[in-house]
Amino acid sequence: MVILFRHVFVVGLGMSNVGRFYERSLRDLAGEALFKAIDDAGNAVPSFILVSNMLSSQVEQENLASLIADYCGLRGISGFKVEAACGSGGAALIAGYSLVSSGLADVVAVVGVEKLSERSTPEVARGLAYAADADFEIPYGISFSGLNALVMRYYMNKYDVRREEMSAWPILMHENGYHNPHAHLKMRITHDDVVKSPIIADPIRLLDSCPMSDGAAALILASDEVAREYSDTPVLIAGIGNALDSTDISSRFELDSFLASRLSSERAFKMAGLSPKDVDVAELHDAYSINGVITLEDVGFAPKGKGAKLVVEGKFRPGDKPSINTSGGLKSRGHPVGATGVYQVCEVSMQLRGDFPGIKVSGEVGLTQNIGGVGSNITTIILRR
Amino acid sequence: MSFQRIWRLKDILLNLVGIKCSDCGYTSYPPKAACPKCSSRNVSRISLGSSGKVVSYTVINVPIEGFENMLPLVIALVETDNGRVLTQLTNVKPEEVYIGMEVEATVRRSATTLDGYVPYIVKFKRSSTNNA
Repeated sequence: MVILFRHVFVVGLGMSNVGRFYERSLRDLAGEALFKAIDDAGNAVPSFILVSNMLSSQVEQENLASLIADYCGLRGISGFKVEAACGSGGAALIAGYSLVSSGLADVVAVVGVEKLSERSTPEVARGLAYAADADFEIPYGISFSGLNALVMRYYMNKYDVRREEMSAWPILMHENGYHNPHAHLKMRITHDDVVKSPIIADPIRLLDSCPMSDGAAALILASDEVAREYSDTPVLIAGIGNALDSTDISSRFELDSFLASRLSSERAFKMAGLSPKDVDVAELHDAYSINGVITLEDVGFAPKGKGAKLVVEGKFRPGDKPSINTSGGLKSRGHPVGATGVYQVCEVSMQLRGDFPGIKVSGEVGLTQNIGGVGSNITTIILRR
Repeated sequence: MSFQRIWRLKDILLNLVGIKCSDCGYTSYPPKAACPKCSSRNVSRISLGSSGKVVSYTVINVPIEGFENMLPLVIALVETDNGRVLTQLTNVKPEEVYIGMEVEATVRRSATTLDGYVPYIVKFKRSSTNNA
C-alpha cells in the first residue's frame, strides 16, 4: 500500500467583519467569507467543503456543508460539518489538512461560521454551557463564564496574581484590536474600565470576557503540487496537533493549566520540527483573560505562574517575539464561536504574507491555538512562510 | 435538563457516586467507564463522602437559561477525600465564602427544569463543626 503524504498550504483566505449583524443570515456571512477566499486563491474551485460551527441549531439550521456549498454555487462537491465546541475551526482544519495531505482532495475549503445575535444572552449562554458536562455541571446552573471563573480564582490564588496584573491582558487586546478593521470591539480600555465593568461570574468581569459575535472566515487549502497555481504567497501548515481533556472540570488533573493546550502544542511543534522560541506571531484563544494567560504558559511562551506578570512587563506586544494576538484576540476581534479557529489562521497567515490589515509585524513562523470547552478540545497549528 | 435526565442520574447526583480504579487506586468524580489516569476498565463505584473543602468558587450574576431566579448563584469546586465535585453552595452569603472553607453536603431544590419539574440535588453548606 502506498501511503501518500503531501505538504498542505493556505492559498486563499477571506473573512467577514465580526460583530452583531441582525440583518444578516448564517449563509450570507459564510458566503461572503468563502467567495473572498476563493477570489484570494485565484478562483480555485474546491472539491471539498468543511464547515465549522457550534450552535447553528440555535438558528434552526443544521447540515451546513450542503447549505453553504449550494448557496455558493458548489452543488455536487463533497463535504460535511465539523463540531468541537469553540474549537470547531481548528478541528475542521485538521480534517481539511488530512484530506489534502492524504491525496483525497487537492483543494479544500474550510469555512467557519457562527450566528449568535439571533438569541438572548441566557439562551446563548446555555448553548455554550453544553460544551461542558451536561449531566454533571448544568444541573448546578454553571455557565461557561462560571467554569472559567473557577479556574481564574484558583490560578490567581495559587500564584498570587493581582487583579491589576490580570487586567493587562484585555488592555493589550483592545489596543491591538483597535487597529483591526474586522474586529468586533474597536475601542481602547484602561485598568479602571476593567475594574468598573460589571461582574459576570466573579472574578470574571465583563471586560475579561469576549463578546458573543457573528462572523465567518474561510480558508482554501491546497497540496504542494498545485499551491503555486493559486497563490504567489502560499503559507505552509508546518505542524498541526489536537488533544482532548475531560469535559467536566471536577476530574481535571490540574486546575491551573490546560493539559490539552500543552499536548496539542507539543504535537504541533514536533511535527514542524520547531519550538516555542521560533514563533514570531501567534493567536491564542482568550475567551477570558485567564485563558490567554494560562495558554501563554502551556504553549511555552511563559513560565508557569508568570504569564500575566510578563504581559504587565510589556512582553508579547506587536514587534516582540512572539507578538501575541495582533488581531485583538477573542477579547477585541470577537468570538464567532465555530469560526474563531479559522479567523486565527487567516490572521496569522496574513501576518506571514505581509498583508494583515491591522498592526503589522514581520515574521516567518506563526502559531494558532483554538480551544473548545474549558480546555477540553484544543488544536494548535504552526504556520510557516 | 429534562425530568428524564435527572431521573436517570438521581442515584449519582444524590449520593455523589464517583469511581475508584481497582488497578491504580485513583479516585475521581463524576463516574467514567474507565480510569482517567491508567485507562483500566476495572473501576468500582465509591461515595465521595459528605464533607470537603472549597478549592475554588465563583458567584454568577449572568445566568444560563433556567437559572434566572436563583441569582446570585454561588458555585464551588469542593475537594473531598475521594475527588472533586462541582456544586452549589447554600445558606451562605457570597462574601462569606473563601478558599479552604469546610463544607458539608445537603439535599436541596435546584432550579425548575426547562420542562417544568423541580429536581433535588446535593448542594454544600458551611460545615456545622466549622460554625460551632
